[in-house]
Amino acid sequence: MTVTEPHIEEAKKDITFRVFRFNPQIDSKPYYDDYTIQVERGITVLRSLNYIKEHLDATVSFRAFCQAGICGSCAMRVNGLSKLACTTQVWEVLEKCREPNVIKVEPLRNLPLVKDLIVDMDPLVDKMKHYSNWVESTMPEEKMGKKEFLISEEEFLKYDKATDCILCASCVSECSILRANSEYVSPAVLLKSYRMNSDSRDAIHDVRLAELVKDHGVWDCTHCYRCQETCVKSIPIMDAIHGIREDAIERRGMKDTSGSKHAEAFMSDIEKKGKLVEATLPIRTNGMAWTLKNLLPMAMKMIVKRRTPPPPPLVKPTKGIRVFRSMFREMSEHVREDHKSHNK
Amino acid sequence: MKPFDIVIVGGGGAGLYAAMEAMKTNPSLNIAVLSKVYPNRSHTSAAQGGANAALANKAKDDTVELHIFDTIKGSDYLADQDAVEVLCSEAPKIIRELDNMGTPWSRMDDNTIAQRPFGGAGRPRCCYCADKTGHTILQTLYEQCLKKGVQFFNEYFALSLSVNGSRMRGLLALNIKTGKVEAFASKTVIFATGGYAKMYWNRSSNAAGNTGDGQAIAYRAGIPLKDMEFVQFHPTGLRKSGLLVTEGARGEGGYLINRDGERFMARYAKEKMELGPRDLVARSLETEILEGRGFDSPAGKYIHLDLTHLGADLIKSRLPQIREMSMQFEGVDPIEEPIPVRPTAHYSMGGIDTDNFGRTVMGGVYAAGECGCVSVHGANRLGGNSLLDILVFGRIAGRTAAEEVGKFAPGIIPESEIAEKTEELRSFMKPSGHYERYGALREELGQTLAMNVGIFREAPLLRKGIEDIAALRDRYQHVRVFDTSDVYNTNLIQVLELKNMLDLAETVAAGAYAREESRGSHTRVDFPVRDDEKWHKHTVATLENGTVTLGEKPVTMGRYELQERTY
Ligand SMILES: Cc1cc2nc3c(=O)[nH]c(=O)nc-3n(C[C@H](O)[C@H](O)[C@H](O)COP(=O)(O)OP(=O)(O)OC[C@H]3O[C@@H](n4cnc5c(N)ncnc54)[C@H](O)[C@@H]3O)c2cc1C
Ligand code: SF4
Ligand code: SF4
Ligand code: FES
Repeated sequence: MTVTEPHIEEAKKDITFRVFRFNPQIDSKPYYDDYTIQVERGITVLRSLNYIKEHLDATVSFRAFCQAGICGSCAMRVNGLSKLACTTQVWEVLEKCREPNVIKVEPLRNLPLVKDLIVDMDPLVDKMKHYSNWVESTMPEEKMGKKEFLISEEEFLKYDKATDCILCASCVSECSILRANSEYVSPAVLLKSYRMNSDSRDAIHDVRLAELVKDHGVWDCTHCYRCQETCVKSIPIMDAIHGIREDAIERRGMKDTSGSKHAEAFMSDIEKKGKLVEATLPIRTNGMAWTLKNLLPMAMKMIVKRRTPPPPPLVKPTKGIRVFRSMFREMSEHVREDHKSHNK
Repeated sequence: MKPFDIVIVGGGGAGLYAAMEAMKTNPSLNIAVLSKVYPNRSHTSAAQGGANAALANKAKDDTVELHIFDTIKGSDYLADQDAVEVLCSEAPKIIRELDNMGTPWSRMDDNTIAQRPFGGAGRPRCCYCADKTGHTILQTLYEQCLKKGVQFFNEYFALSLSVNGSRMRGLLALNIKTGKVEAFASKTVIFATGGYAKMYWNRSSNAAGNTGDGQAIAYRAGIPLKDMEFVQFHPTGLRKSGLLVTEGARGEGGYLINRDGERFMARYAKEKMELGPRDLVARSLETEILEGRGFDSPAGKYIHLDLTHLGADLIKSRLPQIREMSMQFEGVDPIEEPIPVRPTAHYSMGGIDTDNFGRTVMGGVYAAGECGCVSVHGANRLGGNSLLDILVFGRIAGRTAAEEVGKFAPGIIPESEIAEKTEELRSFMKPSGHYERYGALREELGQTLAMNVGIFREAPLLRKGIEDIAALRDRYQHVRVFDTSDVYNTNLIQVLELKNMLDLAETVAAGAYAREESRGSHTRVDFPVRDDEKWHKHTVATLENGTVTLGEKPVTMGRYELQERTY
């Protein structure tokens, strides 16, 4: 006789996986295939896809390796949100189905599509290279291996969380700026850059920073918080972005105009797309480069915090503008005070 | 493509260190790193615990000598003592080197690299970065390789060595993104493709791609494999996936319970109970399951790892990772329900037979990391010694290849070989009357290995295992790839990986059948004691006429005499 746990037998459901399909060799445009399978409680999205691939359709293509949430291979959009398929329980996403028991599975956004659920990671690697996402040691190579650096726990804690990043690109997929500008540095690369810049063993802090404040760099971020909300390792990415900005202002002062110029270009971009017009208006009327650069990002952050819908889509103009303006004024005050205390 | 000086297959810790060291040794060399996944995805990232080195930051009286002794004893005296000496004496240097390059080690109060105790070690010498040591080491190495401009060929799947007579002239690999077979003519090749424990499939803690590709490629090219029968099992893998529940759960006071509600460890290790040594606990769990005292489910038989009595607070504060894992992968919250576990294949001690410099018997071919067997782990690897192994011997292999590259003439791989290989791959896709499904074969392989070549081994079971594997190898002739597209054909990759697992499974079973003794991870019910007279030697497997032939090799002894291994 065998003992069987009751919940395992009972908790079974027929689930339809609506899978994004695209084979560049034959398809002119993507389409969706439906696969319905019986899923028991405790099964992950990845295991369901494995089952589909093995039993229903061997051509469904996706990446997976560790199956334990550590390698970052299996990021994809499940019911519209980017996450790791291998750590996502089917049961847990059922609530978010538009159609009952139909789970939509799609590739990450903001990276070139290769096939089905697979996107090209090379652009991200290229950005890591561009922004020198490595420690350039202060110790010459021939001296290495003889003695260790002494590093405080305090310093370690500064980049501890950032080193959790598994480069899954979920945050990249959700980033609102990347959708408009594929050359944008990317949240994961900002995070890594910050991690390197907080490391006392690193010798190229200023070189990296100089690159980060250029076009497509740290000033382009709208503080929409999407990356942080998405991060599969719950890393406070925004702390890194704030950290880089504070560092830039501290070390480089107000000499970077490219950041603000780019912010302007971005705003007109959004304007063309008909999104966020209300946000651009007060900025235009204020018109000062300094205010743009320093206040806009923080104001945007506040929009999100106050639960006013983040960009996109468009918020209702009149009310939105009023809210925005008052926040804008409030922010100006804060920043002024901040600067005063800094200068003390 | 212009011929390479060194082609490194594998972008895990071993491969990346080899690449860096080779570039450092001779910057003018043309070096390529091939990896079937982006290097930062490699399985090195899964290692949580840490890497051993006698830095003596924590225990001031720790020495390299003590590390050597622990390793040799842990190996059940099957490790080669000169190799262990290299491993342990290079250890402090390599850990510091990683520190100098930016690895974020956890720190002690005096700001030096933190160390903690680990199984089988007499001193706390395991250097760690929280519970993500492998991940951060791999990141550091990948970042440094990007910095140095290492030429990466990501998502390339190595297929075979190109050999003319006894001269190696390079490697054939499948470009996964295009589906084209490409030739990498090269003077030297270093294999660093990781372990083969995934052949146990759902009963393995390994990544899906730890299929022993490098070992199988070398084996098919006539290069011997060593000590393949030694596979380490971890007692607590999750039932459905085999993923690891770390020792922490038992360390905090978790119970192992069978279906009679009994804390059965009382029968196997009265004093230590759940905290007995890894192999003993694994054998105890397996015994309970085999004797019918396990639970049953569609996903297989299992035992309960019960944490419920520890209370929500303790579980949340001390074991958050374990809780998250059981919720993510089993849908079970350990605060409310016990975690279903069973032993899981974790590490492969065996691999490509190399000397202390990573050289194989074939000129120009080297191996390092879990895919090689120097041997430093012998019959049983100590926790924290594997990361060390891949770093130390990855570096040595890279340096040696760079130094010796002048001895080998540049190879040219004929076009016809590429065409043949392409045809071979295409043939899997041809519709035929009778065909076999990849998934079924792989499942059966995992099952027969777990049943017959698992934790407990004995002649009749092993014979059954050998027969099953032979039958599966026959059936593999008819396996069908249903995806006929060129771009990113994961169906084809899986089928190729299965072939590698099947070839290696034969060597594991053959070694296990031949070795009539119990040593380290290899437990023969019919030969329960270590037999130094007959079996204090390595087994060496070579492929002859399509099947495995076993030979042997002496163990290099040194300062340490054979002793009984007791803890
Ligand atoms: C869950 C878990 C926890 C562990 N914890 C520890 C620990 O705490 N301490 C410790 O010391 N050890 C630990 N280990 C063991 C250790 O992690 C591994 O032995 C080690 O990381 C192996 O490194 P490697 O470089 O040899 O291979 P891997 O990191 O596995 O890399 C293999 C590389 O080869 C490539 N490759 C494979 N086949 C092909 C092919 N056909 N073509 C092209 N490329 C290919 C892969 O893409 C990959 O880049 C643990 C292992 C597991 C499973
Ligand atoms: S906060 Fe910045 S980096 Fe993050 S998603 Fe929004 S725009 Fe992108
Ligand atoms: S920051 Fe988070 S979401 Fe982004 S790549 Fe890293 S782990 Fe993934
Ligand atoms: S498969 Fe590695 S993170 Fe999902």
